[in-house]
Amino acid sequence: MITIAIAKGRMQDDALALLARAGIRVSDDEINSRRLAITDETGGYRFLFVKPADVPVYVEHGIADCGVVGRDVLLESEADLLLPLDLGIARCRIVVAAVDPEVMTRAVGMLRVATKYSQIAATHFGSRGMPVEIIKLSGSVELAPALGLADLIVDLVQSGRTLRENGLTVVDEIAESTGRLVVNRASYQLKAEAVGRFVNALRAALNGGERA
Amino acid sequence: MRYYIGAEARLRRTIEDVAMSVFESWSYEEVITPSVDYYDLFEQGMGQTEAQRGFRFTDNDGRLLALRPDVTSSVARIAATLLADRPRPLRFCYAAPVFKQQTQSHAEWRRENTQLGCELIGVGGKPADLEVLRLAAEILSRLDLTSSYCITINNVEIFNGIAAQLDLDTPAREQLRRLIDTRETEELQRFLRDHAANDGHAFSQLAQLTGKRDVLRAAREVIRNERSLSALNALEELWLEIESRGLQNDFEIDLGDVPSLDYYTGLTLKVFVHGAGGSVGRGGRYDGLTGNFGRAEPAVGFVLNLDALTEVVGRRLSQQS
Repeated sequence: MITIAIAKGRMQDDALALLARAGIRVSDDEINSRRLAITDETGGYRFLFVKPADVPVYVEHGIADCGVVGRDVLLESEADLLLPLDLGIARCRIVVAAVDPEVMTRAVGMLRVATKYSQIAATHFGSRGMPVEIIKLSGSVELAPALGLADLIVDLVQSGRTLRENGLTVVDEIAESTGRLVVNRASYQLKAEAVGRFVNALRAALNGGERA
Repeated sequence: MRYYIGAEARLRRTIEDVAMSVFESWSYEEVITPSVDYYDLFEQGMGQTEAQRGFRFTDNDGRLLALRPDVTSSVARIAATLLADRPRPLRFCYAAPVFKQQTQSHAEWRRENTQLGCELIGVGGKPADLEVLRLAAEILSRLDLTSSYCITINNVEIFNGIAAQLDLDTPAREQLRRLIDTRETEELQRFLRDHAANDGHAFSQLAQLTGKRDVLRAAREVIRNERSLSALNALEELWLEIESRGLQNDFEIDLGDVPSLDYYTGLTLKVFVHGAGGSVGRGGRYDGLTGNFGRAEPAVGFVLNLDALTEVVGRRLSQQS
C-alpha cells in the first residue's frame, strides 16, 4: 500500500475526479466520513487530506509516498521532491496586482507587497532588483491595497473576479500553477513498482482525457 | 541539534563501530581531520556553492575559517601534499561530524551530521568503483538492513556527454540537470524541443530512468554521442560485476541521479533505506578533486549519514520488540 497526501480544498475534488478516471475509487461514504485518512476500494492506496502547505512536508519526510498539490505551494516551500506529472487540474496564475497599475513605475522608495507567498514574492522582486517590503498575510490578501496596508499584492488568480471586485488589476504574471503529482525520493526507489503503477495510471487517465 | 542519551547513544555507537570495523577489514585506515580549517580549503574541495553552506567566521588575523562542511576536502588535500610520496592506493575512513546550513523547510534540517565515510585514492576504474559499492553494501547488511535498502548507481558522464553535445551555457545546463533530477517529464520534453536536442530526447523517451540492466539497453538505443556511450559501457560493466556477485537485488541503476555537486566525474551512488524519507548516503568518483591541491589522481568514496541510520535502525528495533 502507498500513501498519497492530497491538498484539501479546491484541489481535492479535481484530484478525486482524476483518480476515479484512473480507476482508483474512493467510496462517497469514506469521503463524507470526515476522517482524514481513508483507503480506496481496492485497499491499494491510502489517502491523507491535509492543508495544501503541509503536502510537501508529509511527502518530503516520507510519511506520504506521493502527493497532489499546486505548483504555487511547491514554489513557496522549496521542498526537495520529484515532480513526475503535471496533472493540469485546478489551473490558476500567480500574479502581481495593484489598484493603480502605474505604482510600479511611479513609486519612489520601497513598495509594500502583501501576500501569502512571501518566498515567491521575494524571489520575483529580488530577480528584478526591486526593493520591496513583504507583508505576510494568511488570507484575504485582496483587501490589503484597499485598506492601505500595501501597494501591491502577489496572489493566486483563477477567473480574476475577486481581483476586479476589489478594484485590482494584474500588472505582472509570475507563473502559472496547476496541480502536480509529487513523489518522495526514497519511495521512488524503494517502492518503485507501486509508485510506478500509480504514476502510469494517472498518466493514462490524463492522456485519455486529452483525446476525449 | 540533537541529544542522544543512554540506549540511543549506545545504538549510535554500535552503528559507528560496525561501519568502522567493516572499513578496517577492507584495509581502510582511520583519519581524523581538523573540525575547523581555512574556508579556502573547502571552496577548493567542494566548489563555491556547497562550501558556502558551511558556517564561516574569521580568525584573529582576519582570515576566513569554516567549521568543516565535509571531510573529503581535507583528505584530498593531505593525499596530495603530506602523503604525496606514499605508495598508492591510499585507503582512508572516518567517522566525523560535519556542519552545514540547511533550509528550514527541508526534512534534512540538521546542521550537524556525522558522516561515516571512506575514500579510495590513487586507483581508477571498475575495480575501485566496485570495491566501494561492495563496502557500502556490506555495512548495510551488517546493520541487518538486508532487503530493506537500495543503492542506486549512475555515471555522470552520461549526462555530461549530452549536455556537451547540446552546447548549453551554465544556466541552461543547470536547468536541464534540475528537470532530470526532479523527473519533470513534460517540462523536460519542452526544454529538449526548444534546444533541438537529438540525444537529449533519450531522457524524455526513457519513461523509466531507474531499474536494472534493461535501463541501459533502452538508453543505448537512443543515445549516440561517444562520451555518453562510453559512460554507459562503464556502467554496464560495473553492473555485470554486481550481478556476478549476486548483489543485483540491492542495487539499481538510476540515470536520473544527476547530483548538483560538480566534482563528480564518473560513478555516482545514493543509498536509500526503508523508513528514511531521504537518502542516507551518497558518493561517487571525483578524479578532479586532488588536482585542485596539486596532485591529480583518481579517487572514489562515499559517506553514510550516521544520524539518519541511527533513526532508521532504532525505529526498526522498537517495532520488532
